[in-house]
Amino acid sequence: MEGLLYEILMAFGLGLLGAVVFAAIGLVSGTDETTTLAPLTMLVALLGAPPAGVLTFFLAGAVAKHMTHAVPTALLGIPGDTAATALLADANHLRRLGVPHIALRKMISGAAVAAVIAVPLSVLFAVLLAPFGDVIKEFAPWVFLCAALTIAYFSAGRWAAVLALVPFVLVIVALQTLTAHYGVKLAVSYFLGIAVAPLIASLFALLAPDERERMRRDEYRLFSLAPDVKSWSGYFPNPFKVINPKQTRMTAVAASVSSATFVFSPVAMTVVMGEIIGSRIKQAYDRLTTVITARNGVTESTYIAEALIPLIAFGLPLSPVAAGPAAPLFNAPPRFFVDNATGEINNLHNLLNTYEFLGYGLLSVIVAILVAYPFTMNFAHKAASFVARKVSHESVIATFIGLVLVIGIWEGGLLGVMVILTIGLLGGFLARLIGFNMGVQFMGYYTAVLSVPAIIALTGA
Amino acid sequence: MNQSLAKPLGAPTPPATTDGRTPNLYEVWGDTVAGRDLMLSILLGGAVSLGTFGLAHVALHQVVESVQMAKAYSMLVGILGCLAGGVASAWLFKPKRLVLEQVVDPAFRQQVVAELLKEYGSLGRLEELSPHVVAELHELGLYELFREAQAQEALVREADAEPDRHLPMNASLVGGRS
Repeated sequence: MEGLLYEILMAFGLGLLGAVVFAAIGLVSGTDETTTLAPLTMLVALLGAPPAGVLTFFLAGAVAKHMTHAVPTALLGIPGDTAATALLADANHLRRLGVPHIALRKMISGAAVAAVIAVPLSVLFAVLLAPFGDVIKEFAPWVFLCAALTIAYFSAGRWAAVLALVPFVLVIVALQTLTAHYGVKLAVSYFLGIAVAPLIASLFALLAPDERERMRRDEYRLFSLAPDVKSWSGYFPNPFKVINPKQTRMTAVAASVSSATFVFSPVAMTVVMGEIIGSRIKQAYDRLTTVITARNGVTESTYIAEALIPLIAFGLPLSPVAAGPAAPLFNAPPRFFVDNATGEINNLHNLLNTYEFLGYGLLSVIVAILVAYPFTMNFAHKAASFVARKVSHESVIATFIGLVLVIGIWEGGLLGVMVILTIGLLGGFLARLIGFNMGVQFMGYYTAVLSVPAIIALTGA
Repeated sequence: MNQSLAKPLGAPTPPATTDGRTPNLYEVWGDTVAGRDLMLSILLGGAVSLGTFGLAHVALHQVVESVQMAKAYSMLVGILGCLAGGVASAWLFKPKRLVLEQVVDPAFRQQVVAELLKEYGSLGRLEELSPHVVAELHELGLYELFREAQAQEALVREADAEPDRHLPMNASLVGGRS
């Protein structure tokens, strides 16, 4: 009994920590989910937090971040993170109508409603899929290969991305062989390299004279900060009063549907669900506000479902979120791992049971809502103003460069840093030139680690 | 990450340089930075984070028993070092942004309504809204805006629907002959 109480308290504490940290990170625009969630969750796992605590840290962080990302999106017109790019157009319309506070409140209320719905639904879908788990585990290398090809085809690059998988996977295999020669085995470095790829590519471009001229700007960038309006009393406004019954219904439907479609990219689902809901509403203001509510709900439900369903049902990272931001829940060597040679899975999948996933999932969502919802409702304007005026982009870049160096040296010394640099440069330019995006790159990594040995075994036999 | 922003009100002011020189401004990773500041920030961030990580690594391996834990904790300290490097450069180098407190302009609102009409094809009818949404529109002072726009749209539609076959080519809001 004491053990359980300790476990719950640790889970609560780490969930609270995740919610506070990522609520703050969400305010800073450009802080991609993968770049921030993956390394910090990895750290929590490696420091030996109990499995439930690792889960609550990640989930509460993701949910809180997708609430506070509404602040720069609604008030400054810059997307808070990758998922928020899908909300920018709607948010800008509302901002220019002079009601950015409405955009903000609808977004975070939609997020709260969707997050609460998504946890039990994800667990339900996972239970329904679990019987197929053994088959999928048995054919995991081929499932990953198929998933990589599918995700590549549906990326912006289409066939270019599919074909680019070959050299990309080859480079990863080659780098692994090289580091193995020096007795170094890397995993986190590949993830971090992929996650910071756009930054590394930008910095290299800046060093090349021609590209530098193209990146040159004459003026400071202009941001217009929307005015502050508070129209309720107290600290915790009721989300069901902020969004009307129809919006609640639409958000619930969107959250349910997007919980089931866990293999698609969250940004794509956010766009598509918004379009479907929008086409059913005639009046422009009603459409705008309902769509933005539901869309931010979808950014929550996809993240929750895409992390929980593969985790509960298979233990293999078989969704874009599971392969990217949630990767450490599956793979945080030496603590959590998926071993291809023996088919052994040792991660949250076997360390927590279904009821624990449900309970700790709901705990994370509730903690995140209690932290991020009232904070955003009450301090959005002050927070946006502080970030825009005080946090320079140089300092954000400096932090990430520090992260690259520390993680690289920590995992593999100088070799680690060089691998991050290589993968980052290659991934960054492939993404920029042919739309070979981060999701495809993560699947490329899994193909190299899981599918390639199987392919070699097959052709060698 | 590049997106065009709504033009704010008032003329944009030139970059405020403290020392009179024009800084080399570049757009990197979605926002504007000054070349020199970026270089110094990266050096500072790298030095502070690696420095703290290195110190923690040496110190912790002597204090903590388990090598595994010492390694994990030195990473934690290293990540705090990254943050410290970031805070230091935020303190040294100011953002290259101009932040204007926005005031709502009625002309802006008209423009948004026109854009919505173009995007959605129709603004729909206020009469079909639920009382919740109507109350919200009244509260925000947007009801009249949409009512007028709706009346305007109906007028245009009526004018177009008239069987005038000599209309110019561009007056094909409701299809026409193509």
